[in-house]
Amino acid sequence: MAHLQIAKRQPLRHGVGAVDLAAHLLAFWGRRGLLWHMTVRHLRGQYKQSFLGYAWAFVNPLSQMLILSFVFSTLLRFESGGVPFPLFVFVGLLPWIFFSSALASATDAVAGSASLVTKVYFPREILPVAAIFTKVVDLAFGLVILVGLMLYYEHVPTETIVWVPVLFMVHMIFTAGLSLPLAALNLYFHDVRYLVGMALTMWFYLTPVIYPESAVPERYRFIFDVNPNAIFINAYRRVILLDDSPGVERLLLGFAIAGGTFLIGYYLFKRMEPGFADRI
Amino acid sequence: MQTASDPAIEFRQVSKRFQLHEGRTLREFIPALLGGRGWSPPFYALRDVSFSIARGETVGIIGRNGSGKSTALKLIAGVMAPTSGEVLVTGRISPLIELGAGFHPDLTGRENVFMNASILGMSTREVKAKFDEIVAFAELWDFMDTPVKRYSSGMYTRLGFSVAVHSDPDILLVDEVLAVGDTPFQEKCLQKMRDFQAQGVTMVYVSHGLDVVKQFCHRAVLLDGGHLLAAGDPAAVVQTYLDMVSSMQPTA
Repeated sequence: MAHLQIAKRQPLRHGVGAVDLAAHLLAFWGRRGLLWHMTVRHLRGQYKQSFLGYAWAFVNPLSQMLILSFVFSTLLRFESGGVPFPLFVFVGLLPWIFFSSALASATDAVAGSASLVTKVYFPREILPVAAIFTKVVDLAFGLVILVGLMLYYEHVPTETIVWVPVLFMVHMIFTAGLSLPLAALNLYFHDVRYLVGMALTMWFYLTPVIYPESAVPERYRFIFDVNPNAIFINAYRRVILLDDSPGVERLLLGFAIAGGTFLIGYYLFKRMEPGFADRI
Repeated sequence: MQTASDPAIEFRQVSKRFQLHEGRTLREFIPALLGGRGWSPPFYALRDVSFSIARGETVGIIGRNGSGKSTALKLIAGVMAPTSGEVLVTGRISPLIELGAGFHPDLTGRENVFMNASILGMSTREVKAKFDEIVAFAELWDFMDTPVKRYSSGMYTRLGFSVAVHSDPDILLVDEVLAVGDTPFQEKCLQKMRDFQAQGVTMVYVSHGLDVVKQFCHRAVLLDGGHLLAAGDPAAVVQTYLDMVSSMQPTA
């Protein structure tokens, strides 16, 4: 029978060298069953006692897409480069909603499970990662709307669409890498959750979700080179709407940023982990 | 490699310090940082405590409120890390601390059994194999498809206890749980613990119930103010504790 990772626990001093990180990841993988249960638990809690239930996973992105299309296309006449504006917005909006809701929810994930964290040990990263996985399910509902929009506008994607899962994996790794240290810091300073809320609002406007990158003056476009969400969202648009490869240079940059963010984030999380129960 | 003579649990000069008033916001934290002083006076829940518990042994930890008993359990559970010293634990731990901590009120009893067992490190296959046993022990056959928020507090703890004792632990941490449930259920729990003793499961038992400690434990440890005052034969340690308490307060 498989024993817990703590089977031979040398002093609970969390090592954080490269080898230790690999061991932590292995331990995390060993508890994937728990990750699954935690995700289900989150999902069941998410829309509990609401009349519409999971319909909210449709209503939320759909309503945002409609209002954004009305304001920015009908009223303000934003250009979307030949693609119908609702479709253009929605391809950017879905990954943005995933990122922002996952980050906000994961930031609160450890603090919100105080009763567990103070009683039983399990790799704590399961909590924020489960929060992120919950949002993947929401995203899947959103994809149904996307397919509907594509049918409505008779947009047939080309084979470049096979890039989408790759992009999404990288996007998710980036999201996790950012969420982990924030979830840990949130235990030390409750300011973090408010900071995250504010930062997300500002980040939304600095990411080409409601406008195309081409609408921005040349001298400000460097923002999109250092903004991973811009890199990902532009890449989603290229492969879904424009029959284009994601842009190798930008994609490599995205990979590098996501990988680096994850390693640093996981390292910081594991460093702070032994103090969680003291702080919560 | 571990050998049979390795202790299941070993505390080596363990101290655990807490900050009593913690700065929770940056506004409280930054002045403290710039001023170069601690945020608050530290408080030692445990101070230089060393003891070890052999495999298969049942050890009772006694002491007044705030003596560091629960902190010791949390260190064993791996939930907290010692400030200094080492805590070494060998084996699968099942904490019977505030049962049902992992329960989600909106999930059914069945779903919560799988959830809680998974938190304790059981695989889905293991839970499936033991599911009927778990339900039978909790005596909740008719309520497995009811959300646990509809449970009474007794049903809640019974289910939590049942999952924990069926998780096939090497080490069982027991924190005053025998006070739950009605008398027949309490007796059933005690019987289950005796079975565990017979099977060679290591148990750490934190309690104010001194009679149970005397009858049930092989050894006892007395903590006071974070210090280890006595360890050894339960009857003798309980007597030390009683003497200590009576010397502190005038007889009523």
